[in-house]
Amino acid sequence: MGFLRAYRIYGIILIILLLASLPFWASRYWILVALLFSLNLGLSQMWNLLAGYSGLVSLGQQAFIGLGGYTLAVFSIYYGFPISLSILIGGIISVLFALLISAPIFRMRGVYFAIGTWTVAEVLRIIFSNWKYVGYGMGLFVKPAYKLSFNTIYYTALFTGIASVAIVYFILRSKLGLGLMAIRDEETASETLGVDIFKCKLSCFLISAFITGIVAGILYLHNIFIQPYSAFGIDWTVRLVFITIIGGIGTIEGPIIGSFIYVFLHQWLSEYPSVSLLILGIIAIAVILSAPRGIMGTIQERLGFEILSPRRK
Amino acid sequence: MTDSLLQVQNIDVFYHDFHALWGVSIDVEKAQVVSIIGANGAGKSTLLNTIAGVYCPSNGTIEFCGKKINGLTPYQAVAEGISLVPEGRRVFPRLTVLENLEMGSYLPKARKKKDEILKKVYELFPILSERKNQLASTLSGGEQQMLAIGRALMSEPKLILFDEISLGLAPLVIKHIYQRVKQINMEGITVLLVEQDIQRSLKAAHKVYIMQSGRIKLSGKPGELSPEDIRKAYFGI
Amino acid sequence: MISILSELKVPIVNGLLLGGLYGIIGIGMSMIFGIVRLINLAHGDFVILASYFSLVTMSLIPISPLLTLIIVIPAMCLLGFIIQYFLLNRTLGKGMNPPLLIAFGISIILQNLLLLIFTPDARTLLSSLSVKTIPIGSFINLPTIYVVDFIAAIITVAFLSRFFNRTYMGKAIRAASDDDGAAQLMGINTKTIYAIAMAISAGTAAIAGVLVGMTFTFYPHTGPEYLIIAFGVVIVGGLGSLIGTFLGGLILGLAQILGAHFLGPGFQLLSGYLILLIVMTFKPTGLFSKG
Repeated sequence: MGFLRAYRIYGIILIILLLASLPFWASRYWILVALLFSLNLGLSQMWNLLAGYSGLVSLGQQAFIGLGGYTLAVFSIYYGFPISLSILIGGIISVLFALLISAPIFRMRGVYFAIGTWTVAEVLRIIFSNWKYVGYGMGLFVKPAYKLSFNTIYYTALFTGIASVAIVYFILRSKLGLGLMAIRDEETASETLGVDIFKCKLSCFLISAFITGIVAGILYLHNIFIQPYSAFGIDWTVRLVFITIIGGIGTIEGPIIGSFIYVFLHQWLSEYPSVSLLILGIIAIAVILSAPRGIMGTIQERLGFEILSPRRK
Repeated sequence: MTDSLLQVQNIDVFYHDFHALWGVSIDVEKAQVVSIIGANGAGKSTLLNTIAGVYCPSNGTIEFCGKKINGLTPYQAVAEGISLVPEGRRVFPRLTVLENLEMGSYLPKARKKKDEILKKVYELFPILSERKNQLASTLSGGEQQMLAIGRALMSEPKLILFDEISLGLAPLVIKHIYQRVKQINMEGITVLLVEQDIQRSLKAAHKVYIMQSGRIKLSGKPGELSPEDIRKAYFGI
Repeated sequence: MISILSELKVPIVNGLLLGGLYGIIGIGMSMIFGIVRLINLAHGDFVILASYFSLVTMSLIPISPLLTLIIVIPAMCLLGFIIQYFLLNRTLGKGMNPPLLIAFGISIILQNLLLLIFTPDARTLLSSLSVKTIPIGSFINLPTIYVVDFIAAIITVAFLSRFFNRTYMGKAIRAASDDDGAAQLMGINTKTIYAIAMAISAGTAAIAGVLVGMTFTFYPHTGPEYLIIAFGVVIVGGLGSLIGTFLGGLILGLAQILGAHFLGPGFQLLSGYLILLIVMTFKPTGLFSKG
């Protein structure tokens, strides 16, 4: 057992080193793939934290993506703040917004929560589209990002992607994580045992808002151009949902596998974006019907095999 | 030889991993009232539900009117002439009394004779006629039980299964309902009922089965069984 | 006071008439939610799909959009039946998320399929009704198409009401939604019943789709917009109540048009969203629900 465990740790370190070394030997194309992989990984880990572990199926993560992106743009362009600071503020503003809407949003259960979060994102989309300060619907060019090298952006994304996995891992091993597991297994019973469900869920909601906001900032460093229609669009969540479902909802490794599959599919069919989403949708439905726990979940079930187990052994 | 309407032979039933019925066999003759008694968890309800098609036996056979019916779905079992009055009544709360009864005659052959059967049900349970446009959820426990029975009669069944119809009802109401059960049987409908109340069972039935832990422990005519035997079989001592 | 009213008469009337259309959009979703406890996240896309069906039919046979309903309604009903019977029925009893996610998947598939087949260009179902108006004295000019929408809404609600209260099938659907197991004991094949319910829901989406296509322009991705409208209508109006849904449509339509009137056209959708959020927060069962 300890033997396998050592192998796992070596394997993880190897992969991380491999990814970190890409700019030295790989073509630009592959670095880009790894970049997109890292960004999607960060976002989907956060969605998984909400939907897979806290039972909060949110269709509104794009609210934080838009907020994070626009904060980066506004603070770096208008106020000349350093980029890293702008990204950080993006995370903070996302958290504050999350806190703001938490009171009404958390009164909604299940599908209401899903539609409620989506509606909030749509509200933001309309507001930003009609706001002169951020350039109405025409958006903004994040000019300060031009001076950054591609590799810098890549490393930032890679770091954030790995960090997001680590964060989820450590959350699950913490007291908060125990609470989440209890909620996941039996919500009403856990309440009688003193688990403050509201606090657990709220914490996860805020953490995911923060990280999502930050990842969004990095994302728009890469994209350069931000406009409300796409920044606050449901398309983001569509991707995250599919990535997590296919990879395995409620597992740490799930979003990793899912992100990989998604980025691969997306790049392979980059000429035909609709086709890639179409295929993704079909795969997702097939997965839900035949292997609802996703690729990783099914592997765990069948083989009892976990790479990153949050369980204390 | 005997007019056997229902023959259950050696069935085992599993709920996921739980072995609920072990090699159960019963025999019900036409126009009889057969009752199955046993403590909570003895498997009585499971047996009824299996006959009605809600559960599927993993082995053994169930024959009804000479036809093999194990593995049929509930809605197919109804078409064969088996009607179940489920535990807890389970009337449709948001439908009216009349609509509940109409649902009982959903099957095409019953639909044609709906008005005729409805009249008979109203004769049996006049209160249902009085309350016919009320929502089923507004009825008292006893009235809901009558509605559930009436609803089961609407499909003109050959065999009617009663699952714990006395649960939660006042003694007078129970007495009233059991009188109706007798009347139903007099019309020629075979009755198979499950009851926790031993005395009630023995009074109403032509034949009695006693179950314990998923097995049949004892069977016979009520007059032939001694209280000692019954007690032993019931409690499994 | 009178001058305010006369200034508002156009938005109010338009809002109410538009609300009729919203009512039809919401009815299909309300039905499915009340019956199978499923929110069909693909409902908006069903509506738009119907618009495209109509478009294709019109290009093959030169008839008015309303007549295409003869083909579009059965086509959509069939689609709804198939989706429920073969896909969604398999998730019954497996919790709340799988059906939601499958509907989401179907929504994405439909949108991208439409995008591939029809390109992102805006379309509309042209008909002479779309531009005419009906003058009511000198008081007001009613846009004909809005009146058609409204009348269609009333007819649809009346028809569905009769169906659910007077027919065996309709009552069976209600019974199955009350208690699936007990319904089966009545001889009702609940799997088929649910598929029929979805077929009817898709049928109402067909009507909504044709009317939407005649009233507005549509693109492959307008589905989600109508989903939120449908959801808004259902939530505001109350779950499981046909009349409530219709009234919910009126309220939402009114809120949108008045919002646009006071805040500007960009804020039309916003007022609708805000009302939805408010109702979801404070009275999630809806304003007119049966509790």
